[in-house]
Amino acid sequence: MDWFSFLVAGVMVYLAVFVFITGMLYQIYRWLSVPKTNVRLGIFPKPKSKTARLLKLAKDSFIFPQAFEIDRKMWFFAILFHFALLAVFIGHLRLIQEFSFLFNILGNKGVERFAFISGGSMGIILTVALLYYFSRRFKSPYKDLSVPEDYLLLILLMLVVTMGNHMRFFGDVRVADYREYVHSLFVFKPAFNLGLSVSLSKYSLVAHVFFANLLFIYFPFSKLVHAIGTFAANLIRSE
Amino acid sequence: MTVDKQTEEKLIALLKQKINRQLLYYLDICARCAICRDACHQYVATKDVHYLPAYRAELIRRIYKKYFTRTGRIIPSLYEGKEITDDLLDELYKVTYACTGCRRCMFYCPFSIDTTWVLSVAKTILIAAGKGSPILTELADAAIEKGKNIDLFKGIMLDILKDTERKLQEKVGDPKATIPVEKEDSNLLYVALSGEHTILPAAIIFHQAKENWTLSLFEASNYGYFLGDTAKAKTIAQRIVDEAKRLKVKEVVVTECGHAHRVFKFFYESWAKEKYPFQVSSILEIIHRYLKEGRINLNSKYIKEPVTYHDPCQIGRNYGVFAEPRDIISQVSADFREMNPQREKNWCCGAGGGVVAQPDLDEFRIKTGELKVKQIRQTGAKIVVSPCENCRLQIETLNEKYNLGIRISSIMDLVAYSLLIPREQS
Ligand code: SF4
Ligand code: SF4
Repeated sequence: MDWFSFLVAGVMVYLAVFVFITGMLYQIYRWLSVPKTNVRLGIFPKPKSKTARLLKLAKDSFIFPQAFEIDRKMWFFAILFHFALLAVFIGHLRLIQEFSFLFNILGNKGVERFAFISGGSMGIILTVALLYYFSRRFKSPYKDLSVPEDYLLLILLMLVVTMGNHMRFFGDVRVADYREYVHSLFVFKPAFNLGLSVSLSKYSLVAHVFFANLLFIYFPFSKLVHAIGTFAANLIRSE
Repeated sequence: MTVDKQTEEKLIALLKQKINRQLLYYLDICARCAICRDACHQYVATKDVHYLPAYRAELIRRIYKKYFTRTGRIIPSLYEGKEITDDLLDELYKVTYACTGCRRCMFYCPFSIDTTWVLSVAKTILIAAGKGSPILTELADAAIEKGKNIDLFKGIMLDILKDTERKLQEKVGDPKATIPVEKEDSNLLYVALSGEHTILPAAIIFHQAKENWTLSLFEASNYGYFLGDTAKAKTIAQRIVDEAKRLKVKEVVVTECGHAHRVFKFFYESWAKEKYPFQVSSILEIIHRYLKEGRINLNSKYIKEPVTYHDPCQIGRNYGVFAEPRDIISQVSADFREMNPQREKNWCCGAGGGVVAQPDLDEFRIKTGELKVKQIRQTGAKIVVSPCENCRLQIETLNEKYNLGIRISSIMDLVAYSLLIPREQS
């Protein structure tokens, strides 16, 4: 590993993980250390039982059906974006361990093909959704509502996704090399193997990791905390 | 211009006091996705970003980011973090006192962000900066004065009541019918509004149901709540709570007044940090109960003209009474028509939250009532029923300005009239 890769794809990764985790814990602590008002802020009709309440919470947080009714376009892209994000997250787990059940069914070639199609399409979906998010911010009234944070986050996301796509569509490195890199991170000896070191994909990987690091570092201090806050706030809805 | 240092410190200290967990969630997680845009009748009617729910809350968020978050202190520009300036306060005034508190935006927001909860902070700040709504302040203070000098008001009130009582006796044909005031150990304390129109029909219904009731000396409306001054709002509501305790009633019944429902059911106990020794109910729930128990019987389907029902936000979405009024109307009306949308999705009439009491918003509420007008027209109804004084006043105005050619009625009026028909026929 050259020194720059070592800094970005090594040291900085640990830093990002550290900041992300402590930042999120700090954020949760910040929330919980302030007392709740005992005014019940829920809206009616409210679910009657505890189970119904939890089901409603899940529905409101994961598919927010009310939003579908008044802003179909935004709802559509938001759902697309978030589910693609989830899919991509699951896909990345393959870099820790091969999904053996898929491997058994599809075989080596089949898995690669499957990964190319699913990962590739998710990457495109993310790009399209981000482009929509972005273009929306340039129109009134969204423009007047937006603050620099919104653009910053979108740009970061766009860069992460673009670099990911670049590896997926233009890269020449196979998944085993990335997996070796991820494993090296786990044992605190970050390294690229020879195949990766000489490949051009190294640069997209380092860039991908760099922007992802920035994103994770900023995450706990941004509106992205809605990733957990949505559950708390949607629960208040039926209080 | 930035407000002076002293004021700034005072406002920030206040803001700090007002912070609670719900508020933090709302301030931290809004994605500025603007899905709430078309939930607000005021934005839809004006297309002015100031009235976009998230933008209203954003003004408070900017102050919050600047003074209360680490990243906001370091890089305020990232969030457009702002110092408190006179301009900001003026903008805040515009978006805050115009909000009707309908909470339709909360219904549609993917995170269920309660914009009005954020705006209650805005009101606190405005009041502390000496920029609370002058007219609402005046009305709130008048109510508090009345509470202090109740003996003075009582004489006048009892005089007027004598007159109402005579009308009651005449209508129900019972010379012994009364409108009891300050009667101890009554089952229920009925809290009306000023004016006979909320007292007489209720008295007729109570008389027919043979209820052991008493009338509150105070009116249900609470301008302190509209103003956003918790201390004043509490004082105003407390007059009634104290009265209920003194008379040892079992139930406090709120008349057809939306925000009073919410004040008594959801806010007062939290403001006063105490539990009621009585129940709180809506007059709609009481009428419905009488019908179910067979204590009153309605003259079925006596209204032939098409009738529609407007769900007041504070009684539907924000209080949970949907079925009772529909049940009642369907019994007396041969042609009941729903508005679209209705129930928890119903459009605000455009004048809640104290908007109707602020003359400088008169034109605004007529303009932003256009969605309601459209809805009413679509039903083709000739009678619009709504159990909220605020909504009815607004719909009267809309009726006049948009030539709707409708009549507006309360639920109590429908019921009381229906109860009197057999007598009039015989
Ligand atoms: S209040 Fe809710 S709907 Fe409105 S912009 Fe914020 S997150 Fe979106
Ligand atoms: S509460 Fe009603 S009036 Fe106020 S911002 Fe929300 S939708 Fe608009």
